[in-house]
Parts: sequence; C-alpha cells; structure tokens
Amino acid sequence: MDFDLNDDQEALLSSLASIRQRYSELPSEERRARSYFAPGLQEALYEGGYFDAAQIGGLEAALVVLAIGESPCVAETGASALVVPHLDLPDRRGPFALLSGDLTKAQRFLPVARQALVDLGDDVAVIPVNADEVETVETIYAYPYGKFRRAPSLAKAPRLGKAAVATLRQWWRVAIAAESAAAAQSAVDFTVDYVKQRHLFGKPIASFQGVQHRIAACHQIARGMRFLALHAAWTGAPYDADVAASYAQQHMQKLVFDLHQFNGGMGVTNEHKLHFWTYRLRALQAEVGGADQASLDMADRLWGAVA
Amino acid sequence: MEFAWTAEQEDYRERVKSALDELLPANWFTKYAPQGYGSDDQIDFSREFCPKLAERGLLVPHWPAEHGGDDREPWDQFILAEEVTAAGEPRGPQYMNVNWIGPTLMKFGTPEQQAKHLGPISRGEVIWCQGYSEPGAGTDLAALKTKAERVGDKYVVNGSKIWTSYARKADWCFLLARTGPERKAISIFLVPMSTPGIKVTSFPGLVQNGHLNEVFFTDVEVPVENRVGEESMAWPIITHALSFERVGVPRYFHGLELMNVAAELLKREGRFNDPIVRSRAAKVVAKFEAAKWLTYLVVDQRAKQSPPTADGNIARISAAEAVCDLMNFCMDYLPDILLEGDAMLADFYRANISGTIAAGTYEIQLNLIAQNALGLPRT
Repeated sequence: MDFDLNDDQEALLSSLASIRQRYSELPSEERRARSYFAPGLQEALYEGGYFDAAQIGGLEAALVVLAIGESPCVAETGASALVVPHLDLPDRRGPFALLSGDLTKAQRFLPVARQALVDLGDDVAVIPVNADEVETVETIYAYPYGKFRRAPSLAKAPRLGKAAVATLRQWWRVAIAAESAAAAQSAVDFTVDYVKQRHLFGKPIASFQGVQHRIAACHQIARGMRFLALHAAWTGAPYDADVAASYAQQHMQKLVFDLHQFNGGMGVTNEHKLHFWTYRLRALQAEVGGADQASLDMADRLWGAVA
Repeated sequence: MEFAWTAEQEDYRERVKSALDELLPANWFTKYAPQGYGSDDQIDFSREFCPKLAERGLLVPHWPAEHGGDDREPWDQFILAEEVTAAGEPRGPQYMNVNWIGPTLMKFGTPEQQAKHLGPISRGEVIWCQGYSEPGAGTDLAALKTKAERVGDKYVVNGSKIWTSYARKADWCFLLARTGPERKAISIFLVPMSTPGIKVTSFPGLVQNGHLNEVFFTDVEVPVENRVGEESMAWPIITHALSFERVGVPRYFHGLELMNVAAELLKREGRFNDPIVRSRAAKVVAKFEAAKWLTYLVVDQRAKQSPPTADGNIARISAAEAVCDLMNFCMDYLPDILLEGDAMLADFYRANISGTIAAGTYEIQLNLIAQNALGLPRT
C-alpha cells in the first residue's frame, strides 16, 4: 500500500498542470455565471489523451477527474474518464451525458454532450446527441443542464447488453465520488480563504472556534471522499464504488449547509465563486439513486439481498 | 499510489489470525471479551496471553530487534492491531505498552530505563497504566496539579490522578507530574505501583466496572533515575506519545465487525428487511470505510517516517463519528443491548461513551485540524 503518487502518476498530473493553470479562473465574461462549461478545457483533455484508457488506468483516471474538478470551469470528465473506458463503445469521443429515468426531464451535460448513455434498467442504450435537439435548462446547479425537445427514440439505438447496466452504475458512482471529492475540497479551500479575510466583530471569521470546528469537519469529509473515490477507482470493485458514493452523497447536505453558512450573504451571489463547487455537489447528490440507493446496494452485497 | 496488501502482509495477517485461533480459549468471546479490557478478568488474562503472543513474535513485531522486536514495518503493527481488536483485544491493557509506552521509552528513555522496561514489555510480562488525567486536568493536560518535588536524589510526589484505566492491576505507572511553576513545566516518571504512598480506588460509571480508577499519591518517593527526559521538559514527549495513541486503536475494524453482529441479530429477529434499517446500517459502514482509509494514510506516513500531520487527527475524528453512528444505530434498532442483549455490542457501546473524550477530545482534534491542516488561527 502506498499513498504517494508514483512516477507515472506524478508525470500525469504535472502534464495536466498547464491545462489546469489555463482554466484555474473563469473568463471575465463568465464571472457572474452560475456555471461555465469550458469547451477548450474539454478539447484539451481529449487531445492530451487524458481519457485514453489504453494509456491510463482507473486510479489515474480518477486523479484526472479530481484535478480538473478543482477548477470553477466545468468539463465532462467523470463519464469520459471513468465510465466509458469500461464499456464496449465503438465511438468513445464525448462529452457524454449519463441518463436515467424520465428522458423528457432535464439531464446533466445534455446541452454539451456528443453522445448519451441511457440506463434502461435492463440494458444500456447509446444515443447520439445533436445540440439542436436539446433545449438548455436554466438552473443553479453548477453544470450545464438540458432536455430533449422531443423524447429520443431508443428503438434503433445500439445496446450494450444487460451486463453493461451494472458496469455503468458502478463507474458512474465512482465518477460521482471523484467529482464530489474535488468539489468538496475546493469549496473547503475557498471557504478557508474567505474566512481568513472577512472580518466580523473586529476579527477574522476564521478566529471563531465555532467556525473552525465545522470547517475542519468539512475538510475531514472531503479527505474521506477523496480516498474512497481513489480506492474505488483502483479496485474496480462494485462494493467499493457503492461505499464511495454512499459516503460522498450522505455528506453533501452538511458540506453545502456549513460552507454556505460561513460565506454568509456573499455565498448567495454569483460573483462569489462558492456555488461553482457547492452546486456541483447538489447536482450529484441524487444521481444513481443517491446515498440511500448506494447504501442499499452495499447492504445487499454485505448481508445478502432481501428475500 | 496503490492500495494492495503485499503477499507478505497477507501471510502475516493469516499468521496473526491462526495464532489467535489457537491461543484464545473457547470461552473467550462469552466470558472474557464482553467484560472489556479494563476488567480484572481481562487484565489477568492478558498476563497469560501476551507472553504466548510474544513467544510467537506477535507482541512487538514492529519494535527493533535490539529491543525484542522483529524490525517489522508499521503496517504489520496495524495488521496485528486490526486482528486483535476484532477479537476483542485479548492483549488487554498491554496494547498501550506496545503501541506507545515502549516506543516512547525507546525514543526518550535512558539506556538504563530501556534495559529495565523494554524487555518485560516485549515479553508481555508487565501491566502499565497512564497517570495523565486529573480531576481538574483532562483535555487541558497542562493544568495538572500533581507535584513532584526534588529532594536530593529523589522526587516526592503528591496529588491524584483519575480515569486511570488498569491502575488497580498495574505494575507501573507512566506518570505526569508538575516539576515547576510554569504551565508546561511537567516531567514524566516511571513509578512502580507498589511504591508506598500510592492508593488506588475504583468507582462506578457508565463504562464497565473496573475501568474507572482514582490513584492517590501521598509523599511517594521516586528515584531521579526514573524520570524520562529532562526535568520539566516532558511536553514534546507527551505530544509524541499522544500522536501514537490517536490512531493506535483501529476502531474501524472493530466497528465493521460489530455492524455485522448487529445485522445478524436484526436478521434473526426478522427486522433486517426494512430498507430504512439496511440503508442506515450501510451508511455507518461507509463511514467506517472512510475512517479505515484515512487511518491507512497515516500508517503509510509513519512507515515512511514522515513527520506527523493533521491526518492523524482527521483519521481519529472520522473513526469517532462512525463509532457514534454505530452507537446511535444500536440505540435505534437494538436498545436491548444495554439490558440483556448482545454482550459484545454492549461492551462496545459502553467503552465508546468516552470515545470522543479520551486521548484528546473530538474538539481538540478539530482545533488541531483547523490550525495545522487549514492554517486557521489559534483561538
């Protein structure tokens, strides 16, 4: 067991450094946006081979998702880096939207997606996505959301088979865990900077023990999310994916509440960047059934399914 | 970065498990384990059990060979700790000796102190207690009032300690006493519990009987050579010892085992089909899993001899929260454990009532994370 990055992993992250630097800040015209999808960032990740499963493994893919997730600029990394490499797709070029449930409802990444993977319950369908068939949906969730102008026809869509359903859900959960870990840590770090600068009753907010304790607890949660996500990506075991998602999704409520609390009124404005991370957490909170379903799936694996 | 056990570590775990299977008597889980490791029975049991563990090289495997160990890496210490914790900690109070009293003496003790104490500890022959907390000094340890006054080549100790687990049966006390007026003018003394002037009383509490003791020191004479480190300079030594204590017990491992026990009980009663109960149980497990990986991170840092970081505090509060969730789960769905229910779950519950208080409270851990990991100001 070794928690330090090996040479290849170090090299991977240092090769990402210039891309991360370029997208560490929002373009000035997006400064007051609720979310900002950066096409250039997405393209740079494809061109750099960061989603190429033949070159990087599951753990490395999670490291990429974690690293890119620190930026206020959004790219679609979870599906492309962590889900798609485990499915037998003829065309692996994204961005991808991962869909389930009622396809007439708004879905994450749909306005920018090139393809969508649809969890049908007993199969996975692959459908192309044309931008002109998707209507953007305004939201405070910090990802692009959209809905089909007309429900897509799945009749002729290629299917990946029944076994792909479990694979899709497993790696979708790993992606949720990794994206959440990045968002949680970034929101903690952003809040730490803010409470050090902002004064209240003549002293920095950071000097109040009641504030310190809750931020420290949020930091602990973010650390837990990080290592569970990395572990799940490394083992590729369904149970570990359930654990990582259960842990991440059960803590989002606390993270969002506490971190907004300490950013006060500024945290509800668009020009204060907190929402770029906290409202990613909110967007991910219920995906693949949320913490309850991830936990029920864990329970089945640990103690046997209900007869 | 990778998360696999090596083949050697897996073999080592099997070796520990086999030894426990062979050494633990058939009535261990019914008679001894449920009493908790502060009980007389478990302390007495540890005097028989630990020498047998030591004979197999499984008491202090992580210690250097020169002190009776096997030069094994910290990972092996944790594998051992996980397995013995899951088995109800048959080492009794001796987990403390091998995890931090011995290592502290190795780092800060004189050659004479090492020669005198490390052998008996490594052979499992001795019981120690920690004379830290006092009625007015627990979390704020530097407020302790027990005094050690230098008189010639001795110190004369007066004062009292409280919560001192194992004190009734201990051979030695790792004692903290004030040796000067400055707040942190504290020294450490190695004191035989048979020294005239030491009196131990026990009192009942929410934890199992025998765990809570008070130790009174009245004109107790301690030779100067029993002081560890320089006079009044014990604070860094205490910090060092506490850093081992904070992640010394793999609570996650015990918690994961006991959640399985709870699930089996509920299944037997036909109450484990409820999705609310199942989901709650698994959420607790997810928290224990997080605590496990955060603890492994700290073990990895130790194995690489990196300086201690706030990750130790993070691991500690992560485990503490999972433990609290398991206790709450039991109170919601298995309240009988505190009446006539499962004795192991009852012991776990009672032992952990003070789990967020002992060895640095939950709030102290948060202070340390805030200051050392996040750079927030001291309050």
